Amino acid sequence: MILTKRLLPVVGVMGIAALSACGTSSTSSSSSGGGGGNLASCQGTFTVATDLPLTGGDATDGPPVEKAAHLAVTQALANKTLGGCTLKYVSKDDATVLKNGHDPAQGAANITALSGDSSVVGVVGPFNSSVAVAEIPIASQNHLPLISPANTNPGLTQAGTSASIDTNSLYPGVHSYFRTIGTDITQGEILAYVATKELNFTKAYAIDDQETYGKGLSTFFQKSFTADGGTIVGTASLPGTTKQFQTQVADAQSKGAQVIFFGGTSGNGCGILRSQMPASIPELGGDGCQDNKFITDAASNAAGAQVTSAPDASKLPTATKFYSDFKSTYNEDGTESPYTPYGFDGMNALIQAIKAVLTANNGQPPTDPMTFRDSVAQQLHKLNYPGATGTVAFDKNGDTTQPGFSLYTINGTAWAPKQLLTADASGKVTVAS
Amino acid sequence: MSDETTASAARATAGAIGHGTLVDPRGLSARTDRAGTTRPAVVRTLAFLRKLYGLVQRYFPQFLIAGIAFAILKVYANGGLTLMGAQIKNALVLGAIYALVAIGYTMVYGIIELINFAHGDVFTLSGFYAFVIAGLSGGAIGSLATHSGIGLLLALLIIFPTTMVAAGFTGVVIERVAYRRLRDAPRLAPLITAIGVSFLLEGLMLVIFGADNRPTKLSSWITGRAVRVAGVDVNWKDIFVVATALGLMFSLGAFVRITTLGKAMRATAQDRSASLLSGINVNRTISATFFIGSALAAAGAIVYSINYDLIQWNLGYQLGIIAFTAAVLGGIGNIVGAGVGGFIIGVISVFGGQLAGGEWSNSLVFAILVIILTFRPVGLFGVDVTTRA
Repeated sequence: MILTKRLLPVVGVMGIAALSACGTSSTSSSSSGGGGGNLASCQGTFTVATDLPLTGGDATDGPPVEKAAHLAVTQALANKTLGGCTLKYVSKDDATVLKNGHDPAQGAANITALSGDSSVVGVVGPFNSSVAVAEIPIASQNHLPLISPANTNPGLTQAGTSASIDTNSLYPGVHSYFRTIGTDITQGEILAYVATKELNFTKAYAIDDQETYGKGLSTFFQKSFTADGGTIVGTASLPGTTKQFQTQVADAQSKGAQVIFFGGTSGNGCGILRSQMPASIPELGGDGCQDNKFITDAASNAAGAQVTSAPDASKLPTATKFYSDFKSTYNEDGTESPYTPYGFDGMNALIQAIKAVLTANNGQPPTDPMTFRDSVAQQLHKLNYPGATGTVAFDKNGDTTQPGFSLYTINGTAWAPKQLLTADASGKVTVAS
Repeated sequence: MSDETTASAARATAGAIGHGTLVDPRGLSARTDRAGTTRPAVVRTLAFLRKLYGLVQRYFPQFLIAGIAFAILKVYANGGLTLMGAQIKNALVLGAIYALVAIGYTMVYGIIELINFAHGDVFTLSGFYAFVIAGLSGGAIGSLATHSGIGLLLALLIIFPTTMVAAGFTGVVIERVAYRRLRDAPRLAPLITAIGVSFLLEGLMLVIFGADNRPTKLSSWITGRAVRVAGVDVNWKDIFVVATALGLMFSLGAFVRITTLGKAMRATAQDRSASLLSGINVNRTISATFFIGSALAAAGAIVYSINYDLIQWNLGYQLGIIAFTAAVLGGIGNIVGAGVGGFIIGVISVFGGQLAGGEWSNSLVFAILVIILTFRPVGLFGVDVTTRA
């Protein structure tokens, strides 16, 4: 009964589409070209969505990405990228008051709701790996494509790489998960490279926030740091509510640690830890630390932190148009978070895949919503799209084919990119710029 | 007619079940048979356990002190003097804050036998009072504090009394509105009300100040290193926190011992009806207790802000429970006990975290709570009084 009700609008749309096959004259002026002539006859409205943490402790993480994804939809509508068909945009917040930020339970509820809506063909999100663990199985069972702009835990796509994630159990249905960013294996290799080769440290102390992301990143950093000839003198695993780190800092100092590594997010104490550390010991962290909250929390001690995060695209010639469009739409620079253009590219990848499905299907959407979603996922695997951050393409696991991270330091009151580093499959790190 | 039939049918069913399944003669006889052989062993084990329990109960303080001494020496053996010194400093700073909050729990329990679960949130609210007061007139107090030594003294003389008075009145209002009417109600009613007040305060702070932690900017007030002992940097901030806590605790002790109001508090705690008969204004005395308890929590919140530079709506929830553990450890109702308990919990939290890993700090503190309630519910300094709780 409920299923019939949900399918009704789709079936109705299909009927109308079939009746008005003649359509209007071609007005397609897609910037990326190649719009099939029959796209103009396309009839229907599909929903694309974002699922990101927008409130609480994560209020600096999600909103810029959400705005960028929304911008991609607005531009696609203006350019009639999908010909006669239109897109509806839905934004979901996976942060709750209870968790003061991203909440896997809320993410699961959001994806369940989006899966149940047969007009939804794809979602950009989630932001956090712990949320992805809750969402991927639901998306997999419902054939719903998920494109994450920020998930870095390798266990989400590669079996046997994470102690806390059983990768195979994440995909009870189809593999419909993609990400536009590299994994923590790469990030750990790059951070270890920075610590051992650039800063010449041999002793590190690692703290994590007990979450999927933080624990995973800390493990990969420790592994690469040891492989690069360093010694991990001590570790600690503290809950995200921790506000006092003095015990661990004293422990690290007594063990002669030259650097303290934090695997976790700013919401879970990355910046608070910095404020309680002596200025003489630098803090090293991953992309979870690279936001304004870190700078606020670390206060006068903010300098002396070096973190990796998504590659800085603000200087890329391919991203110039994106940043100027972002500025004219929202009156914000959009450079605050490096993930912002990844949200834009993720949504554009989804729209391009939808377009490819429509083109392949003679300009019409597949009648069965599950077939439609499956076709979008197949097209995403084949995708090779020139995005703002570079070429957007995915391998067989759904991982990006160009993993890299930029190193950021605090310059005055803002994060500033220092260099871009990439790592190859064997773990060899090279400084790209 | 039909009712009667149903009832008798139900009786018949119940009888059948009772006869068929509830009584199992084989089970009973088996136990009787085994009793001859197993009983002495069981009795012996029980007797041993009882003896062990009695021993732990009797020498509880000694066991606790021995455990703490062992932990400190173990840290010394593992990491040397510098690590031990640094962790003792950390334990004292943390313990001072716990002690200031624990006193509020213990005073309220002592006088009306209520565990005031809203106390931890009064701590948080006081932190926000200090945050707001420090930010008044464009942060004038803050710039005064960082200007010079005398300026700092003036700033402290402004922020401490104002915040403490504001928190004190908050405590009085909570007592007047939520607890006074329930003073003679069954014990559970005010307890549940206290939890309700706690949620109310947390919700208010969440709505007004937001979910994220807020920097208070108070950490810049006191900076610099006072002395370096055995490689440990002891900062002025650390000395200030501990000295403030000790000073306030001794003042409170003197207040309760010497002044008329203090005597009235002790009398009311012992026997409310007799105090009433001898002309003590019991309502006013209880209000004063809430005022002082909340004011001390406010002092704790200010030193917390100066030390950690942050305040968050749900901060008092966990800190409150830890401080409550400190109060129970010292003997709930005993002011000296709460002070000492706060410092002991600080030591357990820090040294436990050092030895077992930071993720076990809180588990150890709450394990202590379970152990006290099992072996010595009256706490270290408590006297065995019959309570209705």
